[in-house]
Amino acid sequence: MKYKDYYAILGLARSATQDDIKRAYRKLARKYHPDVSKHADAEDRFKEVGEAYEVLKDPEKRTAYDRMGSGWQAGEDFQPPPNWDEGFEFSGRGGDTGADVNLDDFFEAMFGHARGAHRRHAASAAMGGQDHHAKVLIDLEDAYRGAQRSISLQMPVVDAQGNVTLQSRTLNVTIPKGVKAGQHLRLVGQGGPAAGDGAAGDLYLEIGFREHPRYRVDGRDVSLDLPVAPWEAALGAQIKVPTPDGTVEMTVPRGSAGGRRLRLKGKGIPGKPPGDLYVVLTIVLPPADSERAAAAYDVMRQAFHFDPRAHFYG
Amino acid sequence: MKESVTTYLEGQLVNEDVEFTLVELCRASGASEQEVTLWVAEGAFEPRGAGPQAWRFSGAALRRVRTAQHLAQDLEINPPGIALVLDLLDEIDALRANPRRARSR
Repeated sequence: MKYKDYYAILGLARSATQDDIKRAYRKLARKYHPDVSKHADAEDRFKEVGEAYEVLKDPEKRTAYDRMGSGWQAGEDFQPPPNWDEGFEFSGRGGDTGADVNLDDFFEAMFGHARGAHRRHAASAAMGGQDHHAKVLIDLEDAYRGAQRSISLQMPVVDAQGNVTLQSRTLNVTIPKGVKAGQHLRLVGQGGPAAGDGAAGDLYLEIGFREHPRYRVDGRDVSLDLPVAPWEAALGAQIKVPTPDGTVEMTVPRGSAGGRRLRLKGKGIPGKPPGDLYVVLTIVLPPADSERAAAAYDVMRQAFHFDPRAHFYG
Repeated sequence: MKESVTTYLEGQLVNEDVEFTLVELCRASGASEQEVTLWVAEGAFEPRGAGPQAWRFSGAALRRVRTAQHLAQDLEINPPGIALVLDLLDEIDALRANPRRARSR
């Protein structure tokens, strides 16, 4: 088991007041909230911060944590001193952060029995099982064509003793053609088991797209930057454009400016109606790295009475 | 069924064609009816129909309600704040999808 420095995680000194702790938590929770943040590790950081706050905001748990001493380094192998929690009756009353606290070894070992009603849960599932949610990342290509994917999910399960373990399972799921990021796929009966005779809950998979080096997605519309030579933009050209569903031939009209958006109607994500594919022209200058090339630029300079800053200083 | 055969689950896509009643939306999202009603009052959601009994939410509302609920719970954001954050998140998404277009505006 590794020691975790909850003060360091929140960027606080050990002498921090309860107000300091709350302020630091709020600030970091906003920064790393997975629904808001685009940090790559937002989800993990948010959980870590939530876990630290879960302990430090509660005077009981904080005192118990402080009792373990401050000589530990984060990540150091750690055994709690014997009877470290002697005399602490954890009331189990929880905070209300709802932060989806990570089921971390360290936290579990120290405070596992003191947690309970802290986790998010579905509201009104009195009889039937709870509806579960999970996020799934797919490739943009999958939305164009549909796909079959194996998805592994981890679910915390509370046993009769109140211990929490992670249970994993694999689901084979058909990704329907035309799915958009943010849409949910509802799998009936794949959620939480029912208590008694009720029906099992449903599983909702929220679909997201993996970052693509080339395509950007907005609803069903997809856009990409297409590099073109200055003469292709100026004189027009036929260019092969990659799309998530294969290559198409496109006409770059004569006299196109850099940044011009050309629309390939219906070449976005399929649907009724399908999205469009926007091709944004990016003019790339050839380097003047040989005498011939430099001479060609010089010919251009003489051929044009061109002032790119004609309206710049106005 | 042979063991070597993999069956794939066919899910129901919650898209714009799907409609939720208030009760269904709350069950699917985990938000409370009271919360959702307050967010509707702020204009963060615009269901069809007059009054909570008749409300019909688009399938696209599910994700927004989930986001709203997380934010309300984790950051204690009140309904006007939720409405503002959802609008700003929409705007950020649009800017990310089309950075160049946004700049030239």
